Amino acid sequence: MKKSKVLVGLFLAIAVFFTFSGCGDNGEKDSIKVGIVLPLTGKLAKFGEIENKSFLMAVDEINAAGGVNGKQIELIIEDTTGKPDVGRSAIEKLITQDKVVMLGGGYSSSVTWATIAVAQQNKTPFLVNTGSADKITEQGWNYIFRLNPPVSEYPGAFESFLKTVGTDVKTVVILHENSLFGQSGSKKFAKQCEALGLKVIMKEGYEAGAIDFRPLLVNVKSKKPDVIYMISYIMDASLLMRQSKQLNMNPKLFVGGAAGFTLPEFYKNAGTASEYVYSATLWTPSVPYPGAREYYDKFVKKYNTPTEYHGAEAYSAMYVIADVLKRTKSMSRDDIRNALAETNMMTAFGPVKFISYDKKVNQNKLPTFLVQWIDGKLETVWPKEVATKGYVYPAPKWNKR
Amino acid sequence: MKKIAPLILLIILIIFPLVIQNAYYQHLMILVLMWVVIGSGWNVIAGYTGQVSFGDAAFFGTGAYTAGILAYHFHISAWWGMAFGGIMAMGVAFPFGWICFRLRGAYFALASLALNEVCRHIATVAEPLTQGMVGILIMPSFLSKIPYYYIALALAVLSVGFVQIVMHSKWGYYFLSIREDQDAAESLGINTHHYKMVSLNIAAFLTGMAGALFMNYMGFIDPSVVFSLHDISIMAILVGIVGGVGTIFGPVVGAFVMVAVHEFFRTGFFGLFKGLAALTGSDFLIVAAKYISQAHVLGFGILVVLVILLLPNGIVGDWKKIVDKLFPFKKKGVST
Amino acid sequence: MEVFLQTLVAGILKGGLYGLIGMGMSLIMGVMGIINLAHGQLMMVGMYITFLLSHYLGIDPYLSLFVSMPALFLLGVAIQKYTLNPLMEVDSILPENQVLMTVGIGMVLTEITRFIFSSDYKSVQTSYSNATFFLGEISFSIALVIAFFIAILFTLFMFWFLLKTDVGRSIRATAQDKDAALLMGVNSKRITIITFGLGSALVAAAGTLLMPIYYLFPDIGGPFTRKAFVITILGGLGSTVGAIFGGITLGLAEAFGATYIGMAYDDMIGLIIFILVLLFLPGGFKRLTKI
Repeated sequence: MKKSKVLVGLFLAIAVFFTFSGCGDNGEKDSIKVGIVLPLTGKLAKFGEIENKSFLMAVDEINAAGGVNGKQIELIIEDTTGKPDVGRSAIEKLITQDKVVMLGGGYSSSVTWATIAVAQQNKTPFLVNTGSADKITEQGWNYIFRLNPPVSEYPGAFESFLKTVGTDVKTVVILHENSLFGQSGSKKFAKQCEALGLKVIMKEGYEAGAIDFRPLLVNVKSKKPDVIYMISYIMDASLLMRQSKQLNMNPKLFVGGAAGFTLPEFYKNAGTASEYVYSATLWTPSVPYPGAREYYDKFVKKYNTPTEYHGAEAYSAMYVIADVLKRTKSMSRDDIRNALAETNMMTAFGPVKFISYDKKVNQNKLPTFLVQWIDGKLETVWPKEVATKGYVYPAPKWNKR
Repeated sequence: MKKIAPLILLIILIIFPLVIQNAYYQHLMILVLMWVVIGSGWNVIAGYTGQVSFGDAAFFGTGAYTAGILAYHFHISAWWGMAFGGIMAMGVAFPFGWICFRLRGAYFALASLALNEVCRHIATVAEPLTQGMVGILIMPSFLSKIPYYYIALALAVLSVGFVQIVMHSKWGYYFLSIREDQDAAESLGINTHHYKMVSLNIAAFLTGMAGALFMNYMGFIDPSVVFSLHDISIMAILVGIVGGVGTIFGPVVGAFVMVAVHEFFRTGFFGLFKGLAALTGSDFLIVAAKYISQAHVLGFGILVVLVILLLPNGIVGDWKKIVDKLFPFKKKGVST
Repeated sequence: MEVFLQTLVAGILKGGLYGLIGMGMSLIMGVMGIINLAHGQLMMVGMYITFLLSHYLGIDPYLSLFVSMPALFLLGVAIQKYTLNPLMEVDSILPENQVLMTVGIGMVLTEITRFIFSSDYKSVQTSYSNATFFLGEISFSIALVIAFFIAILFTLFMFWFLLKTDVGRSIRATAQDKDAALLMGVNSKRITIITFGLGSALVAAAGTLLMPIYYLFPDIGGPFTRKAFVITILGGLGSTVGAIFGGITLGLAEAFGATYIGMAYDDMIGLIIFILVLLFLPGGFKRLTKI
């Protein structure tokens, strides 16, 4: 008797759920649905928020200007919570239940990596705008496109800087967090150092969230490297710099591999320890692309908080999506995919054209930049043509500032 | 009635994917079935034998990685991982149990927690083997969910059936005696160490198979996903306890409830609020919907607290209590 | 040599803080026998209180000790009284429901905090956050040194408290044998409530001391709970002095592991020591001392 009551209860519950889920996203009948996956909660929520706001700002602008051929774009944003398996469920829901015509977003390499397989299998075009591990576009999957450069190209500007200015740099230490971003980025950079003739004397990973990097740093210090290259998210980056200062460690250059090092919070948390730290970056408000500066100012005005390259990626991705939807022959996923492949436009993030090179397909190729924290502001210092300020090299020692 | 009910449930489960075509719900049910397997396994070692383990993820992850490594490095279909996954998980359970079963209660639980974390760390740094945080990605064998559903269903039925058989056998009695009073059992001549090992290995085997299924179905794993303390180990415990510790069908109910509740909260009551908001145009409901989806983990946590406070023996274990509370006028005769 | 000494210093100083984190849990586990999986979250709450005081009222973290500790004491008391004590009455098959309750509480605490503060990283910058002094080539972080001494202070205080005061002795009695203590007239319900409050207050202190040199976000609790276990087991349940030794041991193990084996492994080293101690020194360091 007990068990049948359990079952009856269960079936009632199931029935209720199914009924109500039906009246969920009815939305507007005449809109085009685009699915976006972002980490809105969880550890990566901060970046997810910036991208979310950027997407919303862009889609509002686009819809206000008439949408796509008269139809409004409706963004359905799903929370991946920063976990690959949740991301997978989210993408499946978007594809099968919400029946979106295409996908966007993709923050965090590991989550993106897990979700693109689903998109490819379901033949749904996916425009990745942040996940940077190289292999995302190295699978030969024709439904996956990437707006942003892969992590191996992040240090591009830094390398040209070394070739021209930092010619006396001979040894490198690479520190990276143990995530997909850190592990793959560090491997690529190590290879590139070898190609440049630099010696990688130490390459170490660490678990993000460590309290005390000093044992690691004192080890690094004893090896007296010329350059310390760090791939970290924001808080580890701040601690690394603060503790390097406390240990009075003075390589010729501290260089960050974007991510944590270019956020305004880095300066807030690291304070004076952030001074003269370089970083690779994909975008700053001062890049010579139309709309870059305006995007930054609009965002700050609307949300009262700064934005950075992740936001620019999202903002531009939205414009690319709108452009694709305008050009596509029909709303079938294959036509959209073809329209996506033919993209050739300029955005606030830079020019967008998907090409194939090396092992990659459907990858947008963009130059990267080198920035440096000078007087608490993030200045573009290389290439010279777009620099907002001259670089400071070599940085003066800690106790001489 | 008692005998027929499970059969009815089974029939419904069998025809489920043919009736409900929506891939999203099929996905949820596959997860439910997977958790039935894991929950049953946990129930054996914890519910019946009284050794609460916080480290089920160690077995789960081992099973998942076995399948993944077979596919990635040896190019053997990951389905072989289903069989080997369970065996490899036993390979982890065996030395662990051998060494750590001398610990009791809380200490054992902590040791299992440590095992969980050690496995996770090893998976993260042993890059040549496990690809570290890059994870292992394989293309799922089937596009449709239906084959996965039936495999999961078969696995779940096997697990529950197996646990049923074990618990009605002599082993079952030994397990229970260890749970009730290990020293008394020992003094009666029961080799408690031996039976604890058996119990643990059963749990490990089932959980390992579930892990391999996960690898095959999800197509992507990495250390933080499959060795996760919160998402796997603690979820397993919740499935067991919410469902009903020490009952055969506890894990079944628990799996369904936990997955449903989790997804329920994540999607804001399956869009109930959004739907109501659209119907009524109420601003309050729209804002409420937004907050509920943001606070989905909070809701989940509160639910856990409430369930443990009010239904300490789980839904199946405390079923009488629930019935009495909900239908107070249905009291027939003397209640116990 | 410099590397060795610097690592040693780093380990010991960090260990003092660890000891404080572990002390609270050791007390709770020793007296009630329950595993408090919300320990890290309690610390997190203490840290948010410190942050609020610093950010909005400009109060220095060291002063906010006087606020965060009592606040967490009350929170701990409330948790024990309303959620954990009732569980002890209920007849359930497994005693581990208490542990799960702490999991639920930890989740609730984390999410409420996330709700209020969002997932942003917060930090408190003080004049001494980055200050260091040098003995030769070895750098000492002033904030960590102060934290270390305060941790020692607390240890001595707890030592005296448990040894000399009535409440303290009741706590030890309950820890040793709850039923016997009941027979001796100890109100064990009240004692458990006080103990949980004390444990929470101690970990809040650790959090407050950690604020100047670390950062804060809602999910910060988990790893600290794990470390607290290791320290508790190392030191022996219920032993506050043991906790300090456990903390320093863990700090040294992590530091030397990071330097000589690799930073990726430092967590694992702690775990392996944990398992070894569980197996070979089941009472922890407590075995070697009296309390």
